[in-house]
Amino acid sequence: MAGKIKQLIDTIINQRAKDNPMLVGVIKSKLMLKGIDPAKFTASSDDDPAIIAKLEAVMKEMK
Amino acid sequence: MYIKTAYSTKGTSDEVIQDIKSQLGDFDTKMLVFFASVRLAPNIISQKIQDAFPDSTVFGCSTSGEIVSGKMLKNSLVAMAFNATAVNDVKVEVVENPKNENSVKKAFATFESYFKTPMFELDPSKYVGLTFIDGLSGAEEKLIDKIGDLTNVNFMGGSAGDDLKFEATYVYANGKAYTNAAVLAVLKPGVPFTFIKTQSFCDLGKTLTVTKANEEKREVIEFNDKPAAEAYAELLGVAVEEATNRFMHNPVGLVIDGMPFVRSPQRIKGTNMIFYCGVTEGMELSLLESTDIIADTGAAIKQAKDELGSISGIININCILRTLELDQKQLTDEYGKLFSEYPTVGFSSYGEQFIGHINQTATMLVFK
Repeated sequence: MAGKIKQLIDTIINQRAKDNPMLVGVIKSKLMLKGIDPAKFTASSDDDPAIIAKLEAVMKEMK
Repeated sequence: MYIKTAYSTKGTSDEVIQDIKSQLGDFDTKMLVFFASVRLAPNIISQKIQDAFPDSTVFGCSTSGEIVSGKMLKNSLVAMAFNATAVNDVKVEVVENPKNENSVKKAFATFESYFKTPMFELDPSKYVGLTFIDGLSGAEEKLIDKIGDLTNVNFMGGSAGDDLKFEATYVYANGKAYTNAAVLAVLKPGVPFTFIKTQSFCDLGKTLTVTKANEEKREVIEFNDKPAAEAYAELLGVAVEEATNRFMHNPVGLVIDGMPFVRSPQRIKGTNMIFYCGVTEGMELSLLESTDIIADTGAAIKQAKDELGSISGIININCILRTLELDQKQLTDEYGKLFSEYPTVGFSSYGEQFIGHINQTATMLVFK
C-alpha cells in the first residue's frame, strides 16, 4: 500500500491550520521536529507503519 | 508604562526582595516573571517573592546568569512586572513529571476550564504561552512536542540553569520551587507581541542523516550509516579526536525554511555522539558554522521593532553556550547593550523552546 502518509499529513495540516499560511509553516515545522518531513512524502510513498503511528497519534489529539 | 523591570545583586534573599519591591514601587503588578541565581535558596526566594506580591501571578526559574536591560549579570535576581494593560489575563500551571504526557494534558484541561475555550481553538494571535522547565530533567522534547500536539498557541521558553553546577535546577510558581517539573503559563497580552528565535550559524551545505539513534538518551549511534563520531569528523575534515573541539563552532541543525533548529553535540561516547537535545531517526541535519552573535541578535531585535513599531518589553532566554561564547570573546557587555533601549529580563539557559526544543539559540517574547 502507498500514499497513506501523505494523506495523513495533508489532513493534519488542513485541520490544524485552516488555511492560515503562518500556521501551515508552524505545523510543518512541528512535523519535521518529530522526524517527518512533509516534503518527502507523495501519493506513491510506501506506508511506513512507524511514521503512520506517529501521525495517527497527532490525529488522535485533535479529536 | 505598563511593563517595568527590576534587578538586584544584594546579599540576602530578604534584601533582594526588598530591593525589587522598592524599584517597582507602586506599580500595579498583575504578573511578575522572575529569574534568579541558585545562590538565592530556591524554596525561600520563591516563597518570599510571592509573599511580596500577594495579588500578582508570580513565576519563573533558576538560572546560569541573568539578563536585564543593558546588562548581563551573575548571582542576581531579575524581574519583569506587567500591569493589566500589558497582560489582560494569565493562568499558570505546574506540570510535575513532565515526561508523562498525561501531566501536560491535565494542565491543558485546567487552561481550557479557565479560558472556557478548547486549547485547540485558542487564537495564537491573541494568546501566547511561556514554559520554564527543570533544565536537568531531559524532558524538554516530550513537553514541547506534546504542547505542540495540543494547541496552535505558540509556547516559548527555556530550561532552568544552576550557575553551571549541573546539580539541580528549579522552576518557580505558587510560592514554591519545583524540580522535575515545568511551569506553563498562558497569557492574553493586551498589546501586540512577536517572537525572536535567533541563532548565529550558517549552513555549510553538508548533511548528516540520523540512521540509528537512541532517542530517549539524545544519542546518535549512526549518521549516514556510519559510526556517528566518524561521520561527523569526516564531514568536518578532521580526525575523530579533534571533533570534540569543534562542537561549539560546528553544531548541526534541522534546517526548516532556511532557519536552523540547532542540535548541539555534548560529547563523544565510544563512536556515538550525545547531544543536548533530541535527535530522531530519519532527521536530516545540516552541518553549521558559527557567525556573529552580536550582529545577528541586533538584526533580529531591529526586525522585531520594525514589525511592532516599538518595544515595551523583552523576555530573553539565551543559551548558556552563547553566553560562554560571548564570555570567551569578551563580548558580554556588548550583548547586554543590545537591550539597553528596551525593558528586558532573561537568563542563560540549559536549552530553549520555540516550536521545538533547541540549543545555542536565543528565544525571545517581545511586547509592543
